[in-house]
Amino acid sequence: MDILLSSIVAGLLIGMVLAIVALGLTIIFGVMDIVNFAHGEFLMIGMYTGLLTAQATGMDPLLTLPLAAAVGCLLGILCYVGFVKFLLRGPMIAQLLGTFGLMLFLRNLALLIFGSEDRALHHGILVGKSFDIGMGIIIPATKLAAAGLSVLAFWGVWLLMNRTKIGKALRATALNAQGARYMGIPIERMNALAWGIGGGTVSVAGALIVNFWSVNPFMGLLFTMIAFAIVALGGFGSVPGAFFAGLVVGMITEIPGFWDFFTYTFNLDWMADVPMTSFKYMWVYLAYFVIMVLRPRGLFGWKQ
Amino acid sequence: METIRNALDFSDFPRIDLIGAGLVLIFLLIFPLLPLSAFAMATMIQFLMFSIYGMGWNTIGGYGGQVDLGKAQYVGIGAYTTSVMLIRWDIPFWVSMPIGVCFAVGWSFIIGYPLFRLKGHYFAIATIATSLVLKDLFEAWNFVGAARGLEISPIKYRPPDFLRLIFKEDIYYYYVLLGLFIIGLFYINWFRKSRLGFQLRCIKDNENVAESLGINVRWAKVKTYAIATAFVSVVGSFHACYIKNIEPEDTMSLSISILIALMAMLGGAGSLWGPIIGAGILIPLKSYLKEWLGAKAGLVGIDLIIYAIIIMLVSAYEPRGIWGIVEKVRRRKRR
Amino acid sequence: MMKSASKFLAILLIVGVIVPAAALAEREIKIGAIYPLTGGAAAAGRELRAGAELAAEIVNNVMPDIDMSMAKSSGIKNMGGAKITLIFKDHEGNPTLGADLAKKLILDDKVDGILGCYHSSVTKTVSSVAEQYGVPMINGSSTSPELTKRGFKWFWRTTPHDVWFTKDLFELLKGLSEGKVKGVKTIPKNELINLASACEKTEWGSFVSEVIEQFAKEYGYNVRKSLLYAKEAPDLSSEVRSLKAAKPDAMLFASYTSDAILMVKTLKAQKIQPKLIWGQDAGFETPEFKSALGDSIVGILTRTVFLPQVVQLKEVAGQVNSLYKAKVGNDLTGASARSFTGVQTWVHVLEKAGSTQPADIQKAANALQIPGNELVVPWAGIKFATSGDEIGQNVLGSGLIGQYQKSPDGQIGLQIIYPFDVASADMIYPFPKF
Repeated sequence: MDILLSSIVAGLLIGMVLAIVALGLTIIFGVMDIVNFAHGEFLMIGMYTGLLTAQATGMDPLLTLPLAAAVGCLLGILCYVGFVKFLLRGPMIAQLLGTFGLMLFLRNLALLIFGSEDRALHHGILVGKSFDIGMGIIIPATKLAAAGLSVLAFWGVWLLMNRTKIGKALRATALNAQGARYMGIPIERMNALAWGIGGGTVSVAGALIVNFWSVNPFMGLLFTMIAFAIVALGGFGSVPGAFFAGLVVGMITEIPGFWDFFTYTFNLDWMADVPMTSFKYMWVYLAYFVIMVLRPRGLFGWKQ
Repeated sequence: METIRNALDFSDFPRIDLIGAGLVLIFLLIFPLLPLSAFAMATMIQFLMFSIYGMGWNTIGGYGGQVDLGKAQYVGIGAYTTSVMLIRWDIPFWVSMPIGVCFAVGWSFIIGYPLFRLKGHYFAIATIATSLVLKDLFEAWNFVGAARGLEISPIKYRPPDFLRLIFKEDIYYYYVLLGLFIIGLFYINWFRKSRLGFQLRCIKDNENVAESLGINVRWAKVKTYAIATAFVSVVGSFHACYIKNIEPEDTMSLSISILIALMAMLGGAGSLWGPIIGAGILIPLKSYLKEWLGAKAGLVGIDLIIYAIIIMLVSAYEPRGIWGIVEKVRRRKRR
Repeated sequence: MMKSASKFLAILLIVGVIVPAAALAEREIKIGAIYPLTGGAAAAGRELRAGAELAAEIVNNVMPDIDMSMAKSSGIKNMGGAKITLIFKDHEGNPTLGADLAKKLILDDKVDGILGCYHSSVTKTVSSVAEQYGVPMINGSSTSPELTKRGFKWFWRTTPHDVWFTKDLFELLKGLSEGKVKGVKTIPKNELINLASACEKTEWGSFVSEVIEQFAKEYGYNVRKSLLYAKEAPDLSSEVRSLKAAKPDAMLFASYTSDAILMVKTLKAQKIQPKLIWGQDAGFETPEFKSALGDSIVGILTRTVFLPQVVQLKEVAGQVNSLYKAKVGNDLTGASARSFTGVQTWVHVLEKAGSTQPADIQKAANALQIPGNELVVPWAGIKFATSGDEIGQNVLGSGLIGQYQKSPDGQIGLQIIYPFDVASADMIYPFPKF
């Protein structure tokens, strides 16, 4: 029984963290219909920022979040103004090519600067500590903090989008860019802002994640794919959609845990031989495919 | 008869294009006889492989306008079919390769139908998803060696072996591949003038109009996807016999999918010469940059940075690739 | 008069410089060394490179302090003092890249032989290329048993392979149940009978997984779970949870550097409490493992081929170790010791062959006998099998099992636990709380 519970808890926790990774992607897509292949790279840069700041200044990794957010935000805006802006006038092929090129660029820049080896945090207030809440459920403190902060960030972004004027402007641009322009909304700035928020949130996600995962220059792509799956499930452009879809995808990555639960509860030896852990992320991709084919709008989406 | 005539008919190209193509062809024919390093030969073989990959991709990605980023799974199907058949049942390349194509095309029909409900980026990402799923499955499937992969033992077969395509020197591989390349070129030349080719161009321009003209859009796309798959699978089978050591991480990875699409797009998707130009520029660039720059410790990755910058520049300024630039210049000259 | 004199002098000078230079140029033996200098095992790559370079240094110079035959003269004696040049290439852990580099080394750099590659998956493809072109290859540290089962005629492996090493593990487990282990009283078999293994899924790890299952059956242990994972995975918590669910008494691992570190960290975070943790060398042995995890590793067992205590068994090991430590900053490890031995084996083969002709090298390697006292590793010697189903495998090798322990002055290091007769400390059992 404790296998099941610990899997569920782990799935939810990681789901909340993955949700905030996907948040930036869905905002960027919502506002300007561009799919950002380099999304995972922003995450990776956020991770490096958090790690290196913590190591260099000795301060606790959790305190590096504001810095990571700032770096991500600036990087996002820079990428938009310096490059993505020019992609918008081209066909979709160009956008895919372009953001893919951006991904390669950032990834190899990181490789050049940081080297290819894994780096991880070994010290910090919460690093390495966990809470044992009984029933065999062990919650690593870092993951709990990450999940908690992620929920906070979601709430913050939701407030921004729905209760502020800027948020309304962003949503207007997302709904109909031309119309928004006629209403006097500076679309260029909205686009840049979307990239800023997108980059910032995923960078914060990175600084949170680096507390419990190691970072290397190549890890971006996996997270980009997971983010795509989450955004597809939740609906491109929907903020609450990203949150709930994140939870679902988090649970999907825990399928090996559920499988184990069934194996040991019902004592089925043949189940133990199936290498479920090898398929951890495969289910996520499969889920993406199935959802897109059956319901392209996703759970909460309003864009086709 | 008319098919063959169409395939061989390049007359709708300006004379200078044909002269250029002819020169390149002559160069390709005599290349192995030039005293160049083994590295150069390996690079040329890579170039030919990716040209054929690109030509195949171009049918659905270029003429069809549907960016497909999941071709690596078909490389895998082709490569594994040939390897497994050779290792287990001693079936020669020329038999296993068509069988591989059948498997690949079969799989492409199975996932093609649902896949083409999607368009644009959704389609692109879905293709990535299917490729990754298949790769993960191969990595856990013991029959094909799981993550260990399969090895064609160098001592079991006596090279040169034309039936099984096992050779010691690269030069044999080169000429076989060149043959496949030329056949592929003629095929695409036929394709772009065929009914399916016209249908695709119509669909690319405006799907709704195409539909209203009575074209079965979905079926056209699926058929084209199958053609692209066949190309990729053939080269995949070749790859297995050339490298003699395949594993999912290396043969079916996302990077291969993206490289295929990238080279075709860079060279000019939707044109006959585009994918070849793209491969012709990017493959030597990648190889030689890595040689000159990557080797020095401390400069790891700079070759790909330059690569990435080129991609970014082309996508921002001329998304129709290099061939697009050529055509733009010509149009301007004509005025 | 002056003009022709100076011309004559010029010609003399040129001849006097170029001819010896040409002669000297001929007396260089090129060995291609393909190692993972970047990527997830870069830490091991550094050790491998340093070990090989040290061996090359010793053979190319006269070093009277080292009790090895290759240190006594400069270069290869039987080839007129020809020096060994190592050409290093980085395969990044990618088997296809490794094969490509091998081809380039053979065809463009025209190396006389190949050394490498650490990752069994890369050794597999590189040796395939070498076999194709008839270029001799000596492998120092890849332990997948399959590599010598292919019947290759141009491949020799000095290190014992995983069947040997895993057998050592089961001998240790058996020893625990029979009271043979120093410092531990007899553990009844049913207290230490359930095993779970987590191995990386390429050539090396997947075979370790299989071999563990085979031996478990033979020795009467119960493998409750054997899982394979991707060494590049950023997160291993579901794997660890899966292991935990199996409730094993002993956990066995086959991991490279970054995944070994991640695995132990995850075990610690999830508060796993097995009675015994064992790693099949590789990642468990690199200096990074110690520096990243610190005290957490105390009590972890690892198969190894070299640890500093060997110095007490073999003098020459101590001599080389001091040189190595002075150069690199840490002691020799299994990786560096074996790549050192790999180069050393090349030297002996070339001495015996007296030429760089492949056929001569092949003959020499098959007839080679290096006595144990020449080696830094605690083997009985090096002699390659020339018949049977493991052609090219060194039959005189052996392994050690070490355990990380904390010495009185706070240093964490490996102590020999197996073989029992050379144990250097009491074994810590059961595994202490993290």
